[in-house]
Amino acid sequence: MSWVGLILVFSLVDNVILSRLLGISPRAGGAGSARAAVWLGVSTAVLMGFSALVGWVIDAVVLEPLRLGFLRTPAFVLSVAGLTYLLEAAAARISPLLVRTSGFSLPGVAVNCATIGIVLLTTRGGYTAAESLIAGLAAGLGFMLVRALLAAISERLEIERIPRALRGFPLELISAGLMAYAFMAFDRAFLARILGG
Amino acid sequence: MTPSDVLSRGISRENRTAVLLVGLCPAAAVSVRVIDSLWMSAGIFVVMLLSSFCTTLLARGRADDGEVTPRAAAGSWLAALVISSFLTGSFELVLLRAAPEASAALGIYAPLIAVNCLVLTVIDESSRALSPARAVLDAAGKGAVFAACLLLISVLREVLGAGTITLFPVSGFSGTIVIGSLSSDPARAFSFAGGGLLCLGYLAALVGAVKDRRP
Repeated sequence: MSWVGLILVFSLVDNVILSRLLGISPRAGGAGSARAAVWLGVSTAVLMGFSALVGWVIDAVVLEPLRLGFLRTPAFVLSVAGLTYLLEAAAARISPLLVRTSGFSLPGVAVNCATIGIVLLTTRGGYTAAESLIAGLAAGLGFMLVRALLAAISERLEIERIPRALRGFPLELISAGLMAYAFMAFDRAFLARILGG
Repeated sequence: MTPSDVLSRGISRENRTAVLLVGLCPAAAVSVRVIDSLWMSAGIFVVMLLSSFCTTLLARGRADDGEVTPRAAAGSWLAALVISSFLTGSFELVLLRAAPEASAALGIYAPLIAVNCLVLTVIDESSRALSPARAVLDAAGKGAVFAACLLLISVLREVLGAGTITLFPVSGFSGTIVIGSLSSDPARAFSFAGGGLLCLGYLAALVGAVKDRRP
């Protein structure tokens, strides 16, 4: 698969939220404003990219040669948790205010199914190290795009008269469901035709 | 609090919405067929039960000074992650041996049990407040609610989206119940990812509406 194809597949065709249904938990980051969603998306994209790369290294360099494949799940989960901690520490050193105001936290991202889901997808997909990194970053971009769109929709709906039971997370899920149908237009075959591959 | 109170906590009003919301990731993804939902529910149930038991046992040896420091909270999260991930890995191995088709059908969603928000939340809460026996009962109650929600969503999606209900095959029964005219002309939209999100959204709204009506 070409680099452009890889980016389009992981960001739009197999979007981590709309196609894989990962990262839709409110704990993965509440709706918030579109700006907060973008910041959450950027940090998640960086985390996903590095997690996919580290996952590839762990799988190809340690687990496969030593025939320790049965340790994949704990190894991936703990490596993602460790990476999240490092990222949080680095972000806190670079911009403490940004970390405080964004609500970025270890439990919030470490248990985000989306990050570990991407590590599992890239290691099972047989990609190279560079492809895993790009796929992880592309998946993070797709995550950021959908989170920002959902936050923008939530902001618009706040001024509408909506039944109480539908407000908040139920409406966010319904919006995501309708968006998932719209994203089905990004079909693999369609992309293969326009990219000539 | 009696053991029955602890068990019913998982089914009570206070936790129903939370259970529905925090277990969303695997619920939405594997609810296309009823049989896959049953396997996923079994995985969540077993991992949650055993993880709760193990972390509560570990927590018993910890000095309880009544205050949870950030370091203690981080340690608790890490312990929950380690235990749940190793138990999930064990569940995957057992599933691969016992039911390879189910293992293939669950795909990446079986390993994700380890980081299911519901599992980690239940483990974390149990280890702070409950004895091992009560932690197991609490996890069983919440696991039962999770399984019921997932079953409801998957029945809805499979019946409307394919016109069938896929269960375990036994002698003389293929495992698939075909529902009349629905199977020849189903609403396929429910089989897609968007259908899962819509079902979950309306179910969450229904639960919210019921909760609002109660005094």
